[in-house]
Amino acid sequence: MDKFASLLHLTPAILWMVIKVVIVFAGVMSLAAIFTWVERRGSAMIQDRIGPNRAALFGKIRIIGLAQILADGIKMFFKEDLIPTDANRKLFWLAPFLAFVPALMGFAIIPFGKSFVSGGVSYHLSVLDPGNGMGMLYPLAIGGMAVYGVLVAAWSSNNKWSILGGMRASAAMVSYEIGMSLAVVSIFMTTGGYDPSEIIGTQGHLPWNWNIVHQPLGFIVFFTCLFAETNRLPFDFAEGESEIVAGFNTEFGSMKYSLMALAEYSHMMTASALIATLYFGGWQVPFVKDPTVMLSVACFLVKLVFFAWVFVWIRWTVPRFRYDQLMHLGWKVMLPMSMGNLVFHAWRMSQGH
Amino acid sequence: MGVIVKKVELSWLDRTYVWPVMKGMAITFEHFIKQLFTATSKRYTIQYPEMKKEMPEGYRGLHELKRFEDGAIKCVACFMCQEACPARCISIEAEEFSDLNITQGFEEKRPAIFKIDMLRCIYCGMCEEACPKDAIWLRKDYEVAAYDRLSMQFGKWDLMNTYAKADGKDRISQDPTPTVPRRTIVM
Amino acid sequence: MFITFALITLLGALAMLLQKNVIVAGLCMVATFFGVAGLFVLLGNPVAAALQVIVYTGAIMVLVLFVIMMLNSHEEEKAEASRPVQRWVSLALVAALALGSVKLVLASSGVKALNLNGAALPRATTLQNVGAALFADHLLGFEVVGLLLLAAMIGAVALTKRNL
Ligand code: SF4
Ligand code: SF4
Repeated sequence: MDKFASLLHLTPAILWMVIKVVIVFAGVMSLAAIFTWVERRGSAMIQDRIGPNRAALFGKIRIIGLAQILADGIKMFFKEDLIPTDANRKLFWLAPFLAFVPALMGFAIIPFGKSFVSGGVSYHLSVLDPGNGMGMLYPLAIGGMAVYGVLVAAWSSNNKWSILGGMRASAAMVSYEIGMSLAVVSIFMTTGGYDPSEIIGTQGHLPWNWNIVHQPLGFIVFFTCLFAETNRLPFDFAEGESEIVAGFNTEFGSMKYSLMALAEYSHMMTASALIATLYFGGWQVPFVKDPTVMLSVACFLVKLVFFAWVFVWIRWTVPRFRYDQLMHLGWKVMLPMSMGNLVFHAWRMSQGH
Repeated sequence: MGVIVKKVELSWLDRTYVWPVMKGMAITFEHFIKQLFTATSKRYTIQYPEMKKEMPEGYRGLHELKRFEDGAIKCVACFMCQEACPARCISIEAEEFSDLNITQGFEEKRPAIFKIDMLRCIYCGMCEEACPKDAIWLRKDYEVAAYDRLSMQFGKWDLMNTYAKADGKDRISQDPTPTVPRRTIVM
Repeated sequence: MFITFALITLLGALAMLLQKNVIVAGLCMVATFFGVAGLFVLLGNPVAAALQVIVYTGAIMVLVLFVIMMLNSHEEEKAEASRPVQRWVSLALVAALALGSVKLVLASSGVKALNLNGAALPRATTLQNVGAALFADHLLGFEVVGLLLLAAMIGAVALTKRNL
């Protein structure tokens, strides 16, 4: 590492940072791209269909339709980029980025593997090193920013459906954020720290010590709220296509649309990484006390992909809520539940557990 | 008109919403696994170019003009089908021919041109119903497509050969009996 | 770094004032909040930065924009009759305020100490510190604020929902 760094006229720390950034963002983006296919294939399977399996490299190599991602990308690139006449042009351009950047940035805090020491320097496998003081507050903050992508997209396209979708989504996201934050806070409490590496460290490698066992209620709340946050199906009010055409991205086409879609999937990745970190021991490998770095990364990936798959799975299981039901659920069920969870754990801790 | 909707009493377990969702997830997962491990040939989806749907009896697809064993056309150019066709897409021109062996000395008619405009045909089967000689059949081929309009005009020989391959018969492009020039009737 | 964040903050604020379009102005304000959050990080207080983003940009501005979007459409409001006197007076006032605050900062004991001892990087504030400060050092203030907020909440509910 040192040699390589000196070759590039960089300090090892900076080189490591660059490598991490590339790994994380390239990884999340490619995972998101793959999940656009997984979602379509998976939903097809769930509905006893087959799904996109025809796209082939050079017209021959079919690899179960994975080339669909490439084909879609190429198609999106070469489509005409339309901007509606009445749209607010600048914001219309800005919106996909506003949607995409927070979705990716949230991942920065998450340790995706075990830290390792090499040559007296310890390397952490997360873009933001532990002890940065932001800890788990960071993804919450960034998650809050995701609303702007939807909101700006909705408003700038100057379309009634879009505005409806944007408003529904923003209201839903804001109201679910509270329940989610409270669920996370009760984890902070039991952990005694709010750094993801601390949270993972205290959970240990035994599955019955993971937070899912200790705080099932908190998990349910957190999980449900994540669906609202990521605008995924039981709560996809931003683009309820049966009601408001396609909601906030009705007017978006070509690469802009594809950025929007990628943002949604990156958001899903970040969300499932959060679930894995907070409730399922992050990179901890079950029953392996001291996993190697590669094993821990693999384990994290497995968890990540599994939860991302659960997002798809839930999508085809639970139908979309009505808007008032959503609000009812958010304020009258999720919020009290996470409050109760918080108070219960506070009480338990005061009892000396 | 009022409809009395029966309210379903939910048990406390169902009212938690979590348990029913999990049950639902089990169902969807079951479908997923089942579909994942079914062979492609057994799935509901018919993967079109490789697999084709077996059409039921009585399906009305592409027409065939029937022929006798020796290749002579069964159609006698009676124009019944042309009259019956609601889409007006059949056009026939008749000709006379004679062959003592087949027709016992009678002068007979057959179509010189038998054209169906497949773009206008609605596959209603009226021509089949109308035909007194059972000479025109609508059969199971549903892949009627072409790159230009002209090739959708099926002529006599096209129509006689539409199912030649499926039936294992030879394609023909010539009448077994030669056309006899129109006789001038001397009075 | 400081210059970047300060510029984001200032330009955002300026743009917000100059924008005629309410929504765009709101978004400029979001940028301002972001700049402030960045400044917090530079000050060694990431918790405040995170909370700034969560509370102000993540919740309050969203609600503000939500209400604006619900109430008005895309029309940009026409400027009312220009009032040159007010403009100049407000400009003078702002200048006086800015000068005063700069003087205050320069005269404060902190800057003096900085001049004497040189800059020492402060230890980053953690959530634990914040919690301890809230519940140990400033417990009374915290409780009072909590009560006040509760009262405000009840008031809001009572105002909007006449028939409970
Ligand atoms: S199927 Fe109907 S429309 Fe087609 S040729 Fe026969 S009578 Fe005409
Ligand atoms: S196909 Fe049948 S109905 Fe039509 S002209 Fe020939 S014999 Fe007559």
